[in-house]
Amino acid sequence: MQPEDLSRLLAPKLGDRLRGVEPFVGTAGRVLFDRAGALDLFRAVHDELGFTHLSMVGGIDWVDHREVFYVVWSDAARQYAILSTDVPADDPRVESASPVWPSANWHERETWEMVDVTFDHHPDIRHLLMPDGYTFHPLLRSFKLHEPEELEVKTRHV
Amino acid sequence: MSEMWINMGPQHPMTHGLWNLRVRIEGELILDVDPEVGYLHRGIEKISEDRHYNEVITLMDRCCYVAGLAWEHLYILSAEQALHIAPPERAEYLRTMCDEFQRIASHQMWYAAFVQDIGLMSPFLYAMRDRDLVLDLLQDYTGARMTYEYMRVGGVRNDLPPGFTDRARKVLDWLTDRFREYDQLCLGSAIFHKRCDGLGILKANDAVAHGVTGPMLRSAGLKRDLRKDRPYSAYDRLEFDVALADGADVTARYLVRMEEMRQSVRILRQVLDWLDRHPGPAIAERLPRWLGAPYAPIGDEGYLLKRSFPKGVGLSSVEEPHGEAQAYVVNEGGEHPYRVKFRSPVFANVSAARQYLVGYHVADIPPIMGSVDVCVGEVDR
Repeated sequence: MQPEDLSRLLAPKLGDRLRGVEPFVGTAGRVLFDRAGALDLFRAVHDELGFTHLSMVGGIDWVDHREVFYVVWSDAARQYAILSTDVPADDPRVESASPVWPSANWHERETWEMVDVTFDHHPDIRHLLMPDGYTFHPLLRSFKLHEPEELEVKTRHV
Repeated sequence: MSEMWINMGPQHPMTHGLWNLRVRIEGELILDVDPEVGYLHRGIEKISEDRHYNEVITLMDRCCYVAGLAWEHLYILSAEQALHIAPPERAEYLRTMCDEFQRIASHQMWYAAFVQDIGLMSPFLYAMRDRDLVLDLLQDYTGARMTYEYMRVGGVRNDLPPGFTDRARKVLDWLTDRFREYDQLCLGSAIFHKRCDGLGILKANDAVAHGVTGPMLRSAGLKRDLRKDRPYSAYDRLEFDVALADGADVTARYLVRMEEMRQSVRILRQVLDWLDRHPGPAIAERLPRWLGAPYAPIGDEGYLLKRSFPKGVGLSSVEEPHGEAQAYVVNEGGEHPYRVKFRSPVFANVSAARQYLVGYHVADIPPIMGSVDVCVGEVDR
């Protein structure tokens, strides 16, 4: 499958919510989409293009906006494809992929706590790697490694 | 009887690492499970953003403490794609050799831990004894037994010491005989079958939906192996079969892993022959100097050159002993990667725990989780 194939198959479903498909070495292509069409895109990619396996979900903090990317795999085409959307930094939210790929559950929990992107209609959003009540998002660029973070440590005396 | 939640972990013989399996039970019956991870989270993705490209390799060994070389390989492939650097052919074969030795060592570690969980002590000692031979070989050319730091962007650190391939062949011959013993010890044991047959069933459809990969997926009869489907390094030039089973239960996962070890031996024999016949450089020539000596003053070449270096993004996937591992490296032109993201196969396999644990009994948890082969280092990263 080539980027042109992805573009041809997805354009009728998404219209102008499909921002474009660019080539990406070693994959079928990188699909850029508007977050308004997230669920439609997920369903089309999963049901009609046969990308039944979601490898990972990740977030990148580009400071002025954030990017959420999904890597999916098709057993029929033996290929990966990357889906990518930009969300504004002041309203970082996108529809959850969990209804389409149940495996998105943990990946989205991790992305939320690390990069502070909210996944709407996620079935079970809570901290995964960080302790409950942790208020930082470590993979944001504003989280500096060299400045000690101020954490109030409560010691429980028995 | 009333329901209750119990914690299996963070310190429990079943966990093999620091994590917690919360289980809702009614009597002996499992109604629901909720794995809790993060006890070993070290922020490897964040630390990577603050290191030079070759310095991240150190962290990769700590990602998975039984398959360090496979993780190094994963990161290196992705970093090379992001930095537009290609390794020489001999380095590709050396990396393939690392992967396969590591697969055998990792599977032997799994075998040792798993059979001990179901109450068989002697196979544990057998496997640990033989694993030491593989680690000796790794130590022979990397200098370490667990944290290797062997691969480099553009190749590998050093070539093989003299006489290595002959020593390696002897170990492979020894292992081939021992695998037969492993099978006799397990498949010939009534206890093994009573504790493993028909447990922890995860059908192919559910496995795909929940992102399960590796031996767990292949034990359900689905033939997906990145070494075949999307060959990297030298795998497209080697002959081997993908291990498959169709039981989708604990025994099937055992069979798949045992067959994978045999196939690894087969791959290694071909790789060793190739290495004997094709001497050559093990690392690419004329690599940018900021890769090798990031902190040294590099004069007029130095960081200015790096700033003019082209940007890039790398995505790589390798068939790690536990399944499909993936890395996404963003090179924005600075001295450090802008973003590094890893996908751990065990992360996804554990997240699907509800699918293969609910409906079984509490005493079934150790064999089932043992067959998942949990490595907490890579779940938490």
